[in-house]
Amino acid sequence: MTPRSIFSQVLIFIFYLLLQIFFVRQLVLFNYAFCFVYIASIILLPFDINRITLILLGFFAGMTVDIFYNTIGANAAAMTLIAFLRPSVISLLTPHRGYDERQTLSLNSMGLTWFITYATTLTIIHHFVLFLLEASDWGLFLPVMAKVICSTIFTTTVVVIIQFFRRD
Amino acid sequence: MYQLVQFITRQRAFILFAFLEVLSLWFFYSYNNYPNAIFFNTSNYYAAKALSTSNSIREYANLREANTELASENNYLNSMIAKLQAQQLDKSIVNYKADSTVASRFKFVVAKVSGLTTSQFNNYITIDKGSADGLAPGMGVISSTGVVGKVKSCSEHYSVVISILHSEYSISAKLKSNNEIGSVKWKGVNSEIVEMTEVSRYKTVRAKDTIVTSDFNYVFPPNITIGYVKKVGVKPDQTFHEIDVQLATNFHTLAYVYVINNKLLGEQKALEEKSEDVKAK
Repeated sequence: MTPRSIFSQVLIFIFYLLLQIFFVRQLVLFNYAFCFVYIASIILLPFDINRITLILLGFFAGMTVDIFYNTIGANAAAMTLIAFLRPSVISLLTPHRGYDERQTLSLNSMGLTWFITYATTLTIIHHFVLFLLEASDWGLFLPVMAKVICSTIFTTTVVVIIQFFRRD
Repeated sequence: MYQLVQFITRQRAFILFAFLEVLSLWFFYSYNNYPNAIFFNTSNYYAAKALSTSNSIREYANLREANTELASENNYLNSMIAKLQAQQLDKSIVNYKADSTVASRFKFVVAKVSGLTTSQFNNYITIDKGSADGLAPGMGVISSTGVVGKVKSCSEHYSVVISILHSEYSISAKLKSNNEIGSVKWKGVNSEIVEMTEVSRYKTVRAKDTIVTSDFNYVFPPNITIGYVKKVGVKPDQTFHEIDVQLATNFHTLAYVYVINNKLLGEQKALEEKSEDVKAK
């Protein structure tokens, strides 16, 4: 990685966090669909990123968002988990021909099907952990599942739409 | 020893993951026990400042509603004054007069909402007054329309309020029509409906009855509106009514709140604890 690409990665990371905190925090559809677009800050990091860095960044991003949501620890736990699972999910989704050396982790380079499967898998894990922790009550299991499903659709859609506006 | 070092190096990602995961869960579960953990929530100065800046847009959009609410509150207060003045003229038959300190024990502080959530499982509100204005954790918060919640933690200029839309918060309430006592708690899903329990099924409860705070509250003055009965039901095997209450306060457009400082709270609590001790002996 060149210093230039590291710098642009850092900017993208911060962009998603700010987007989450200032713009989509109030965005809730029908009381069930939440948008946690900031998970893109982790799932869009390049393929060759160091595992330790990935986990630390996940924890940091989760913690930052937690401060603004007053849910200290919940987002951090969910983000640390998906940062840890990301390499396994990527290797599970390996295409027939394997990954190309030059491919980058983006919609353009990986194709729509791959990208949506990948984003949905990590999003659903994140949302499930987050909402279950927040509810802390098995009596609320149905509302939790409803929130997980609606929010996964919402978040993934927003992440994909932002990908369309990217210049690679 | 060499093998141990090798194991740690090989599994360092997993070890780091496990450590951070446990740390976050520990934060999450111990958060409610530390009312003064102000760094990690929105009473943190920088977080609150950022929130109130981004909130100013929402504020403009809701100005019309906020004005209507304030006007109707003024109207209500005026009628209240008239009523009290009328009562002053004919002194009540029983010669009871509240001690002036007790009568004026509640002090109000006006605060502006700088951030809030309504559809999480545990909702909080950030307001722009803190310990510098005499706020402290545990104080009650109301709006011009009704009950809002309770102060959770304060920094110097900001505070975080536990909204009534919080899974671990319940308020002692009563029915205005027949003074039946119960408690009000949020069910966790709809941000306009709370549930009132502990009202005996043998008492009559009618739709549209007003629910207010009871006299047994530490934090709220009695007779503050909580909401209106929306639906009354009884579970087959229970002795209590199951009452759905429409909240009087619209949390989506909440703009200004009053924080209630009960000056005699410490005295009352100390006295009650003392009498508990006597009973125990």
